[in-house]
Amino acid sequence: MELLNYLYLGFSVALQPINLFYCFLGVLIGTLVGVLPGLGPVAAMSLLLPATFHTSPVASIIMLSGIYYGAMYGGSTTSILVNIPGEAASVMTCLDGYQMARQGRAGPALGISAFGSFFAGTIGIVGMLLISIPLVNFALKFGPPEYFSLMVLGLMVLTFLTSASMLRALMMASFGLIVGTIGLDNISGLARFTFNIPELLDGVGLVPVVMGLFGISEVMLNIELKIKREVFTTEIKGLLPTLDDWRRSIGPLLRGTVLGFFLGILPGGGAVIASFVSYAVEKRVSERPEEFGKGAIEGVAAPEAANNSAAQGAFIPLLTLGIPSNVVMAMLLGALIIHGVTPGPLLLAQHPDLFWGVVASMYVGNAMLLVLNLPLIGMWVQLLRVPYSILFPLIILFCLIGAYSINNSSTDVLIMLVFGIIGYLMKKLSLEAAPMVLAFVLGPMMETALRQSLIKSKGSFSIFFTRPISATCLIIAIALMVLPLLPWLRRPGAALEHKEVA
Amino acid sequence: MKKTYLIHDIVWIGFAFLVCLGGLKLGFGSFKQPQAGFMPFLSGLLLGLLALADLISGVAGRWKHEKTDREIWPSIHRGKLFFTLALLFIYTLLFNTLGFIIATIPLLFFLYRLMEPRPWWVALIASVVTTGLFYLGFKVGLDSQLPPGILGF
Repeated sequence: MELLNYLYLGFSVALQPINLFYCFLGVLIGTLVGVLPGLGPVAAMSLLLPATFHTSPVASIIMLSGIYYGAMYGGSTTSILVNIPGEAASVMTCLDGYQMARQGRAGPALGISAFGSFFAGTIGIVGMLLISIPLVNFALKFGPPEYFSLMVLGLMVLTFLTSASMLRALMMASFGLIVGTIGLDNISGLARFTFNIPELLDGVGLVPVVMGLFGISEVMLNIELKIKREVFTTEIKGLLPTLDDWRRSIGPLLRGTVLGFFLGILPGGGAVIASFVSYAVEKRVSERPEEFGKGAIEGVAAPEAANNSAAQGAFIPLLTLGIPSNVVMAMLLGALIIHGVTPGPLLLAQHPDLFWGVVASMYVGNAMLLVLNLPLIGMWVQLLRVPYSILFPLIILFCLIGAYSINNSSTDVLIMLVFGIIGYLMKKLSLEAAPMVLAFVLGPMMETALRQSLIKSKGSFSIFFTRPISATCLIIAIALMVLPLLPWLRRPGAALEHKEVA
Repeated sequence: MKKTYLIHDIVWIGFAFLVCLGGLKLGFGSFKQPQAGFMPFLSGLLLGLLALADLISGVAGRWKHEKTDREIWPSIHRGKLFFTLALLFIYTLLFNTLGFIIATIPLLFFLYRLMEPRPWWVALIASVVTTGLFYLGFKVGLDSQLPPGILGF
């Protein structure tokens, strides 16, 4: 009954005309950035964050969330029609979606992708409703050691899952921690690494950093490489999947949804990992694994369902614990803080309208996306034909205005350009930006929690291992750190075996 | 041994060393009473050790599968890249003084002509129209603060 009351509150907020408008705007922009390769949801959210300063926190978060899950929908269109993932979570959809398009089945591929996304998004919201309240009650038991350990676990999971080289991903996370220390010390008020620049006293802003790392760096790479996009010219007809398509897809949709949702909740997890794992699981459980990669509809249904339910699940740690599980959630954390809302266990009690309004808006947004993505597919395909030479000056201008308008400061624009160069070099060297950004956001919170814990325990690190929740998180984190070393340790033996065989 | 990765690790080690020094200068405190330099020192130390481990693994021949220096730095369109960066830095420096409209039109003019050879008048019209639309959208529509500069609006 209580849940129904919350749901009623949520829908009464989400269905207000102004919130409906921002929800529509969010999913529209999300679909747009999902469709256009080179501009992901993170860059779009950072570009539009300053534009939300004049709106209410609820409308602002509704719009930014819409961009995120809207991009999940839009990303599949480019994957299927152009074989270029509009954003990272759609990479797996390319494998079978593009093959289906080549076989003249672009319609059913786009259809199952949209319906599957809607289905998964809906189930994801139900999951949010059921899990959020128990998790909030659980989170109220958290003290500084638990928060510190949970954040360490989040960073470890992200570095473990997102990079080929865990060592380098950890290096980027350390760099993020260092950048996070710039500004006034939270406890003593001492200025750190500010070099007498007054604008740095508040620390380096999240928006210039993210815009630089994801927006400017992407433009720099594209200028250098001069990408060419070829749209697959096929008539898109019959968007409704056949009965046989549904029969083959229902299992993958269900499995992808459940798997994606829980991987989304996991600190450091998210839509990208969910889509990879669900594809691998489907291939393993399928009776026809040989069809994967050659146009199997299961290979479209599962990752699309997984990335959408993961997008919903990722909101849970942010809204209930105040801990962002990925870069997009870090952006939302920044937006909430700018609007004077502190996410965490008390959010539900202090701002129930925001919490339930955002949850309900996702349902409304998912319905809007279904309408936007199926009948208007032709329009999105046309957008793919916009030449990059026209697109990139606009991206640059969005970044420049976005970075400037937060504090009306040219220093922020310079910071963005510097991080643009850093991001470009990182991409050149295949270094991941995600661990850096997450560590940068979590860094100040981690530092406070670490120092509070050590003061409380009189300098003993045992406080992290004697409390069950903290100990569990740290043990998992340590296990994740040790796991990649195992093949390395085994390698001399393996080499020996190889030599003996030879 | 790949030169780019070698330089990359050495730069990180040097940077980490400077951060550690900065942390000590700010005051490490003790584990009982950590001070402002505590976190920077630990983060710098961690970064330095990780970069050192990466360097050692490279020396031990574990960079075999990494991209080659030529793959990392293909020499295509590098001039365009430097030109764009220089434009952006100049724009940032002049943005406040000249104002949004006066500074943005030439920036867009050069950017529009950078990737494809367009007639100058097409690029100019596109730059003026784009700047106008952005001004209307952000300044008038969203009430964003854009520098008025010499035009005064």
